[in-house]
Amino acid sequence: MGKDLEKIFDDCIGELRNGGSIELILQKYPEHKSELKPLLELVQAMEQLPKPEPTAGAVSAALIGLGEEIAHLRSAESPKIKKRRRSVFGRFFQQPRLAWTLSVAFALVLMFVGISTVSANSVPGDILYPLKLATEKVSFLLAFGSERKAELRLTFSEQRTKEIKRVLQKSGKLDEGLLNAMLKEAQLALEESPNDTSAFFLAKLNAVNTYQKDVLESFRPRVDSANEKIVNRAIGVCDMRGRWIKGMMREEWDEMPTHRPPATHQERRHSQKPQWGPGCDWMR
Amino acid sequence: MREKFLELAEEELQAVLEQARHFEPKAIAKLSEYCYPKVFGYIYYRVNDHSDAEDLTGEVCLRMVQSIRQQKGSFKGWIYRVASNVVTDFYRRRAVRQVVDPAADSVEDIVDDTDETGHLLNQAQLKEGLSHLTDEQREVIILKFIEGYETEEIARMLEKSNEAVRALQFRALTTLKKILQKEKR
Repeated sequence: MGKDLEKIFDDCIGELRNGGSIELILQKYPEHKSELKPLLELVQAMEQLPKPEPTAGAVSAALIGLGEEIAHLRSAESPKIKKRRRSVFGRFFQQPRLAWTLSVAFALVLMFVGISTVSANSVPGDILYPLKLATEKVSFLLAFGSERKAELRLTFSEQRTKEIKRVLQKSGKLDEGLLNAMLKEAQLALEESPNDTSAFFLAKLNAVNTYQKDVLESFRPRVDSANEKIVNRAIGVCDMRGRWIKGMMREEWDEMPTHRPPATHQERRHSQKPQWGPGCDWMR
Repeated sequence: MREKFLELAEEELQAVLEQARHFEPKAIAKLSEYCYPKVFGYIYYRVNDHSDAEDLTGEVCLRMVQSIRQQKGSFKGWIYRVASNVVTDFYRRRAVRQVVDPAADSVEDIVDDTDETGHLLNQAQLKEGLSHLTDEQREVIILKFIEGYETEEIARMLEKSNEAVRALQFRALTTLKKILQKEKR
């Protein structure tokens, strides 16, 4: 009997998960209604609870810790290399104290390199690059609100620009994947941005777009003809996007209370010209 | 509405695990992305403090990488066992500290979970209620209703029969209901 009830209860939970209502489900088991109803209500309340969420900082810290651990495990894993090294540096490693000091120093360097690489310098092909991308992904998932998400997209797009630059400096090659990712993240930033996008966000978007265009133009002469076409196309996208952003900024500005343009130099000096945003001097 | 965290189908999970056993950073990143939220949800209801839950989740990820080569059988079951051991160690360490340092005795207040959504139950109440259950009952309740697994999956993870899991679930919920009712009065 007890086992039957436990099975019935489990089936009821299954039906509840499939969208059934408690009343309807229990119509099938009127003899158990009084016993099962409060339990199913508790189940429903538990399943409606918001999922506990970790902070983005904690996730990043965990991933950085993992990066260090992988580097450590990988370095401990190559005995052949160790043996060869031991023969080269054999005399040093015959002294335990020196070996210990060097190992600690090596571990510290490894840790430092790990953290700094993850935080800023890793590019595709680096050991820690996937962790960097995972950190970005998780921080995006944890971000709340469309404006914050759009800002993060923008940051990722800027990151990809920096990575393109770094890859180009390192290998002299244009990474087409990164270029696409850069444009895609900027596009997603536009799509994620809320309908009532703030002037501040538009200004930021414009600044990143201009920066990306400048970067692309700066390395156009350094790429081969096939890649030049790709770069030109990307610059075209930036141009188009820039025009769109400026149009949005003008609209934003038009909605603000307007002032008659000051006629005289004296008036101009005393006019309340905005310090930033569309229409201010530095934006022209 | 927030996006869901990474989910992996069983085959995909096995492929990622295979690569992770060779310490492939990409695979380990993917595995961590997959495990972190699950483990965090599991640990969150077993410790009082949010930041303790975060630290312990980090520790689980680290232990996962360190012993990934020894992992056999169900990965999900294994990772929750690792998480359970990490929590046990945490309480053991704390018990030792409490003997040495009486100031460490103060269990932090349950985090502020004022229910703004009008739910019948909030996270703090559930946490409190769960603390009165046996380890096995608590494990089943968390896996079923917080992590969202089915009875059969939980049975596989905990290496128990479906009937045993159902019995634990029924007894745990009956006790939990009584505790929550008592608290409301």
